[in-house]
Amino acid sequence: MVASIALLTMTMTTDVRAAVVARGLTKVYGQGDAAVRALRGIDVSFATEAFTAIMGPSGSGKSTLMHCLAGLDTVSAGNVHIGDADITTLSDKQLTLLRRERIGFVFQAFNLLPTLTAEQNIRLPLEIAGRQADQVLMDRVVETVGLRDRLSHKPSQLSGGQQQRVAVARALISKPQVIFADEPTGNLDSRSGAEVLAFLRRSVRELGQTIVMVTHDPQAASYADRVVFLRDGLLVSEVTGPTPQSVHDMLLKLEA
Amino acid sequence: MLRTTLAGLLAHKTRLLLTSLAITLGVGFIAGTFVLTDTIEQGFRQLFTADADKVAVAVTPKEKEITEAVLKKIRALPGVADAQGLVQGSAPLLDRSGRAAGSVATSGIAIVKGPLDRTNYVSGRAPAGGSEAVLDENTAKTRQFAVGDTITVLDLAEKRRQFTLVGIVDVGVDQSLAYTGAVGFDTATALEMTGVKSYREIDVAAAPGVTPETLKKTASEALGKAYTIRTGDELAQKLALDSNVELDYLVLVLLLFGFVAMFVAALVIYNTFNILVAQRTREMALLRCIGATRGQVFRSILLESAVVGLVSSALGLLAGLGLGAVALNALASFDAPVPVGADVTLTPRTIVLGLVVGLLVTVGSAVLPARGATRVAPIAALRSQVEEQSFRAGLTRSIIAGLLLAGGLGLTAVAIWVLDGDVGLLTAMAGGAVFFLGVIAIGPMLMGPLAAFAGWAPRRLFGVPGRLAVDNSRRNPKRAATTTVALTIGVTLMTLISVITASTRETVTGSLDEQFPVDFMITAQHGRADGMPTLSPDVPGKLRALPEVGLVAEMRQDPSGEIASLPDGAAFRPKVVSGSLADLTTGTVALSESQAGNLGSARVGGTVPLTTTEAGKVEVKVVAILSDDSVTGTMPYTVGVADFEKYFGPVGPVRVYVKAADGIAADVSRRAVEAALTAYPTAQLVSAADVRGEFDDAFDMMFTIFAGLLGLAILISLLGIANTLSLSVHERTRESALLRALGLTRPQLRGMLSIEALVLGLIGALIGIVIGVAFGWAALQTIPNETVFVVPVLQVLLYLVLSALAGVLAAVLPARRAANASIVGSLASS
Repeated sequence: MVASIALLTMTMTTDVRAAVVARGLTKVYGQGDAAVRALRGIDVSFATEAFTAIMGPSGSGKSTLMHCLAGLDTVSAGNVHIGDADITTLSDKQLTLLRRERIGFVFQAFNLLPTLTAEQNIRLPLEIAGRQADQVLMDRVVETVGLRDRLSHKPSQLSGGQQQRVAVARALISKPQVIFADEPTGNLDSRSGAEVLAFLRRSVRELGQTIVMVTHDPQAASYADRVVFLRDGLLVSEVTGPTPQSVHDMLLKLEA
Repeated sequence: MLRTTLAGLLAHKTRLLLTSLAITLGVGFIAGTFVLTDTIEQGFRQLFTADADKVAVAVTPKEKEITEAVLKKIRALPGVADAQGLVQGSAPLLDRSGRAAGSVATSGIAIVKGPLDRTNYVSGRAPAGGSEAVLDENTAKTRQFAVGDTITVLDLAEKRRQFTLVGIVDVGVDQSLAYTGAVGFDTATALEMTGVKSYREIDVAAAPGVTPETLKKTASEALGKAYTIRTGDELAQKLALDSNVELDYLVLVLLLFGFVAMFVAALVIYNTFNILVAQRTREMALLRCIGATRGQVFRSILLESAVVGLVSSALGLLAGLGLGAVALNALASFDAPVPVGADVTLTPRTIVLGLVVGLLVTVGSAVLPARGATRVAPIAALRSQVEEQSFRAGLTRSIIAGLLLAGGLGLTAVAIWVLDGDVGLLTAMAGGAVFFLGVIAIGPMLMGPLAAFAGWAPRRLFGVPGRLAVDNSRRNPKRAATTTVALTIGVTLMTLISVITASTRETVTGSLDEQFPVDFMITAQHGRADGMPTLSPDVPGKLRALPEVGLVAEMRQDPSGEIASLPDGAAFRPKVVSGSLADLTTGTVALSESQAGNLGSARVGGTVPLTTTEAGKVEVKVVAILSDDSVTGTMPYTVGVADFEKYFGPVGPVRVYVKAADGIAADVSRRAVEAALTAYPTAQLVSAADVRGEFDDAFDMMFTIFAGLLGLAILISLLGIANTLSLSVHERTRESALLRALGLTRPQLRGMLSIEALVLGLIGALIGIVIGVAFGWAALQTIPNETVFVVPVLQVLLYLVLSALAGVLAAVLPARRAANASIVGSLASS
């Protein structure tokens, strides 16, 4: 039953305009006997203006999937489209330019350059791309993140939660086609984590952003519109409109 | 703990590679110095010992000269198989164009016969009789004479004498013969040609069964105490000792550069260990968590430095062996008068010294970083993010820096305004060294403003990578300061030498223009007699008769070199301080300023005594005081031409200045003068351009040697920049990955690191140039003569550009590594 619903939703989501589509995505580390198949032919798509979470037990390949989707790592087989571009065919230079123009990142830790202030960190992707910041967007983002009085602070003067909010603001400012977030709340206490997650969800609702988030925390995943589950390098299930409980149940089932 | 340290060392061996290279180069230079000089010393010993085998006893003059009678007396002594006198005087060889070869006359020597002949024949044989001669190899080569040719040598009366060249000889390590060149005759001809009346040395061969000691005793009893009598072995020892004194000076100069190189290496090591300790904070903290004491952590770092120091010093000794061999080859190819034949060896002294110096410098430089490591709290192991190293100018540092800077300036001020001469120069240099230590102490405080200054253009030119690079360059001021100071040392010394060379060059050529207001100068070849050589008294008259020649001014002086005749021609009037040269008539004198000072009460209008050769003691009236500042050399006393001839007779001039006649080209005039001088082969014609060219060559040569020796220190400082950058790159792995994820391209990331290195290079050069120029000025002020101060702007700018480029070059490998790292892998690293 669950499987058929999953199949149905997958078919439905592919019909919606997708921001990121992966087909037959395979990633193998090492060679011969030592080869580890981290991803074993994954078909998945992520809808625009939606907040999707990728979940799975440790070693399921969720981080690898994200790295491949974001063009940070090469794939062994299959392809990945971001918008109309097949990123598996791009050179390193083209990939870099694509990341610059179309992708935003929020990592678990070490998101900010210690030499730059919060505001400079937020503007950094635009400046690397040689673009001017949209001042209206800048104001709105800063307002939403609630960091106006912290803009001139260096990262070392900010709390962990504030640092992650600056990282999210930085990801938003260039209006990317998709933001990849890798365990963005992994290092935060639950209150700061909730703030960051609420903020991510708001940016989808209010700014029309597309976000793909890797997490192992059911609580965090429950902020998403849809959760996809990985096990042993395969996409095994998904839940739409998740609650912490439904995600938790699904995880228990997968680990059983 | 020992095992942990060694395992850690092996794991990080690439990180320490550049550090090791710095020590290896420094130790290599010092070891190379000793290898070179030891080998030369060994060569001297071998040569002298070989000679000593031939000579049983050598007699040299002490209180009395060795005359023919003495030689006869020695020959008659019991136990003497043979005794030969060594002759050395001057015998000017004429080159193929018929002019005396070289500015100093060729030495004439006697080639003795029999078992006492110590000559090394390159080809041919010993000369026999009054029509044969041999030449030294170098002269034969440069003057293009070969065995069988006829050579012409001037005798005492300057008459041309022809000889058949029967051999080419090697004068070996005799410095004076190597300088003048030598023409050898049999003893009788040598005495006749040189006019020498006594022997420099008598070599005695013993009859069979007579020991040198016995012979020495016999000779001492017969000759008394007026002569020094040595056995062959004693002679060899004395000669070796004499040559060592000269070598010691060479060792001193080379070691000075070695010291600079080691100092730079010490800075590089200090920086490396500081960075390594900072990077391994968590490792140290973990060790402390599991129970390592502060002492153990301290010792483990020192042990690490000791291993690095020992290994790289050992490699340095090998490098020294290579360097020594290369230097010997270079000396051999320049025909330097030193023995280069001995085997290149590392003496135990060199090995011990190299290892000790390398070890002490390495361990000494690691002490402060090791102390820093002991301050790591165990809790640091649990912190996830490495703290940014911030720098706050401490009070102690400010006080120390202030004291050093003020002390350095004070010493220099004393050197400039109180002391003078060599003491002044040395004090100024000491002041410079103290000031430099102050700059090292204050360095971290300078980095921020200087990075902003040096980074002004890169920030605007290179966009985001440029801005990030400039920020990074001043991120850790202490590290940046130590890195750049290493380069600063090299740039400071290069600038200093450039300023001094350029200023001296300008001073010399400036005064040449001022006081060589002529086309040519004619002097006599040196070497024939003691004192200033004089030209024939006829030379000025012959030249005045030439239509191509305008002004002819002759400079004459008395044999003691105290009294000169006033040269003719208004162009040669020395500067008058008081009185007037127009009053220089019969019975008057002009004093030099310094002589007037020496005499105390001498004023214009007073009288002074003069000792003359023809007129005895005369009292003359002082009519003028002349400035000392004159390259033609203001003599203590200057008298009129007529008086001079009355006092000293028709003495030939020491110099004749010649100007081409109006409307006659200098080269036309020169040919006419040369033709007129054919009859005077020892007269030497030089033009202002020749003199300037010689000065230029000498300056260029000196500068090249210094630059070459300093090159090592600069190379080591570049290793330091490369080292700091690669360690910084390592530290910022995740930062670089983040930037790459955010869209910085590989070339941009590489560019960012290159710009950081460029900024560091610029800062180092800027400080160096400022200090170098300032202390170059200070050094010049201590020289008593009026010296022009010149900053060779283009040359100094070149150092700035080269330093920046060198920085970029040092960044190539670290930047490549950073740019090629995988983003995913780097993000995951801790």
